[in-house]
Amino acid sequence: MRKAAVVLVLMAAVALFIAGCGKKEAETGEKVKAKWTIGMSQCNLGEPWRVQMNKDIAEAAKAHPEIKVVFKDAQNKSETQQAQVREFKQLGVDLIIISPKESRPLTGPVAEAYRAGIPVIVLDRKVEGSEYTCFIGADNVKIGREAGKFLVKILGGKGNVVELKGLMTSTPGQERHKGFMEGIKGSQIKIIFDADCKWLEPNARDEMTSALSRFDKIDAVYAHNDPSAHGAYMAARQEGKGREKTIKFIGIDALPTEGVRYVRDGILTATFQYPTGGKEAIETAIQILSGKKVPKNITLGTRIFTKDNVDKGGEPL
Amino acid sequence: MLRKRKSEGVTSSADGSGIRALINTLDAYRGIAAFIVVFLLGVIFSPRALDTGRPIFVSFRTQLDILYEYCEYGLLATGMTLVILTGGIDLSVSSVLGFCATFFALLTIGYGWDIAPAVIVVICAGFAMGAVNGALISRFRIQPFVATLAMMVSARGLAKFISGGIKVQPAAEPWYRCTESTPYFYLWMTKSLPGIGVQPSTLLFLISIVVMAVVVKYTTYGRRIYAIGGNEEAARLSGIRISWNKILTYALCAGFAALAGIVNACRQDLGDPEAGTGFELEAIAAVVIGGTSLMGGKGSMVFTFIGVLIMAYISKILSLNAVPIAPRMIIQGAIIVIAVLIQQQRRR
Repeated sequence: MRKAAVVLVLMAAVALFIAGCGKKEAETGEKVKAKWTIGMSQCNLGEPWRVQMNKDIAEAAKAHPEIKVVFKDAQNKSETQQAQVREFKQLGVDLIIISPKESRPLTGPVAEAYRAGIPVIVLDRKVEGSEYTCFIGADNVKIGREAGKFLVKILGGKGNVVELKGLMTSTPGQERHKGFMEGIKGSQIKIIFDADCKWLEPNARDEMTSALSRFDKIDAVYAHNDPSAHGAYMAARQEGKGREKTIKFIGIDALPTEGVRYVRDGILTATFQYPTGGKEAIETAIQILSGKKVPKNITLGTRIFTKDNVDKGGEPL
Repeated sequence: MLRKRKSEGVTSSADGSGIRALINTLDAYRGIAAFIVVFLLGVIFSPRALDTGRPIFVSFRTQLDILYEYCEYGLLATGMTLVILTGGIDLSVSSVLGFCATFFALLTIGYGWDIAPAVIVVICAGFAMGAVNGALISRFRIQPFVATLAMMVSARGLAKFISGGIKVQPAAEPWYRCTESTPYFYLWMTKSLPGIGVQPSTLLFLISIVVMAVVVKYTTYGRRIYAIGGNEEAARLSGIRISWNKILTYALCAGFAALAGIVNACRQDLGDPEAGTGFELEAIAAVVIGGTSLMGGKGSMVFTFIGVLIMAYISKILSLNAVPIAPRMIIQGAIIVIAVLIQQQRRR
C-alpha cells in the first residue's frame, strides 16, 4: 500500500514536471508568435565555452522577436546529436544551427536536412562535404600560432616551455598544438614537458606538479585552454617556491568568466579568444531566412587579452 | 522471477483462490503496465510538427527511430541480462564496445579488410575479452565488479593503443587503405531497409534479443545460469560446471558488446576509441528496470526488452520536448525508481 502511494506521488511529480516544461514552451510560442523556429543542437553543455555559445545565441535571438530558438544538448554523444537533427527535421523547423561533436557522424544527418530544404548553419566544427548552408568557425591553427609568436616575443626567443594539451584525439587539440609549433619555429624555445590534460583543470594541475618536480627552470606554460593554464598556476603556487610569479602562463578561449578574469587577476599573462560565433550564427540565420545570400564559410578572428588591454576588451589579431 | 511466478501459481491454485491467481497474472504484466504508462506519457506530451500539426511521437518513423537510437544499449543489455542472471555484473561492456568499434574500423578502414572476416575477428576479440573476465571471476575468485572494472580500464587503454590515440576514419593516417569514404557496409547498417523501414542495426538487436530469449528460456544453458544465480553452491552440488558456464556467460556478454561496437562504428562512420563511455550504466539500468534482480536468478530477456523500451521511450519523450539536461536527469532518476517500484514482486 505504502509503495503504491510512493509510486503515485512520484508519477504525479514527474507528470507535473514534464507538463511544466512543455507548457512553458507552448506559452512562449503563443505569446511571441514567432515567425521562424530555429533548432539549435549543441554537442555538449558540460563545457563552459559551449554554455557561453548558447548564451550568445540566446542573447542575439532576444533582439529578434520574429525568431524562436529551441535548444537541445547532445551530452557529448554523436548518436544523440544525429537523432536531434532528425527530430528538428520532423518538427519542421525553419533553420538548424548545429555545433557538431564530430564531423563524420553528423555529415549524413546534416546533408539529409539540407537536401530536404532546411538551411543548416554549422558552428565551430565542420562537417564533411559541402551539403550545408554556411560554416562559421574560428581558426585554431592561427590561434596556436599567435600564442607561439607571443611567447617568442615575451621570452626573447628562448626558454623552456611546458605544453598542457587539450584532448589530443580532438581536432582543436591537434590544431592548437600544430599552430603553436609553427609559431615558435626558428626560435630557441624548447618544449621540455607536455601532457594530454583532456581540457580538464585537475589533470593540468597534476601534470604541472610533475613538471615542476622534474624541472628547475620553467619559463612559461602554454595551455590549450584557460582552465588548464589556471590549474598549472595553482600547482606552481602550491609548490610554495614562488615560481607562480616567474613562470608566464598562457591560455586559450578567453571566456569572460574564466580566461579574461584570470588575466585581470594577474594569474595568466595572456589569453587568446576562441570566439563562439553565437551572435554571428543568429545574424547569418536572419539573413538566410529573409532570403539573402550568405558566404559558405565565415572565419572568425581572434583577440588577445593581456593585463594592458583587458579593460578595453582585448585587441584583435 | 519465472520460477517464483510458477511456484506462486501452484500455491494459489492449491489454495483455490481465484483472486490470488488474478493478482499473480497481473503481477507478471507489471512491466508492460509500466511501459504503457510511459507510452501514454509520450502521446500526451508529444510536440506537433510545425508544418502539418500532427503529433510527432505517434508516427511510425519516430517509433523506428526510438528503437534505432537504443539498439546499442539494447545489445549491451541483452548480454548484461545473462551476466546479471548469474548474479554477476559486467562493467567492461562499454570499453569492449569502444575497443571493438575501433578495432572494426581499423580493420576495414585502415587495413582495407573485407567486412565478413573483420566482423568475425572483432566478435572473436570480444569473446576473448569476455572469457578473460569469466576466468578471472570463476577461476581466480575475483569479484565480478572488480574483475570487469579492471577489464573496463584496460580495454579502453587497448582501444587507444591500437588506434594510436586518434579516431579511426578515412585518411586519418597516411597508410590507411580508405582515403575518402568508409565501406558501403557502414551506410547500409544505418539506412532504412526498403519496404519495412527498419535499419539493419535495429534488426540486429531485435534478432539478438529474440534468440537469447529462446536460449535463456528453453535450453539447458539457460536453466543453468538461473540455477547459478539462484544459489551457486546448490548449483555446484547438483553437478553444474560453474566456471565453464560463467566463462561462457561473460564471453557471450562481451560478444554482444562487440556487436554493439560494430553498430557504433557504423553509426558514427568512424572508430572512436572513446566510444561507449558510460553505456554500461545505461545497460544495467535497462535490465533492472525490466525487473531482473541484481541478486541473480530472477528475471528474463522479455523483461529486459521492456526495460530497454522504457528507457528508450523516456529518453525520446524528453528529447522531443527539448527538456533541458538538468530537469531531464532528475526526471530520469525518478522514472527509474517508479519503474522498479512497479516491477517489484510483493515480498509476501
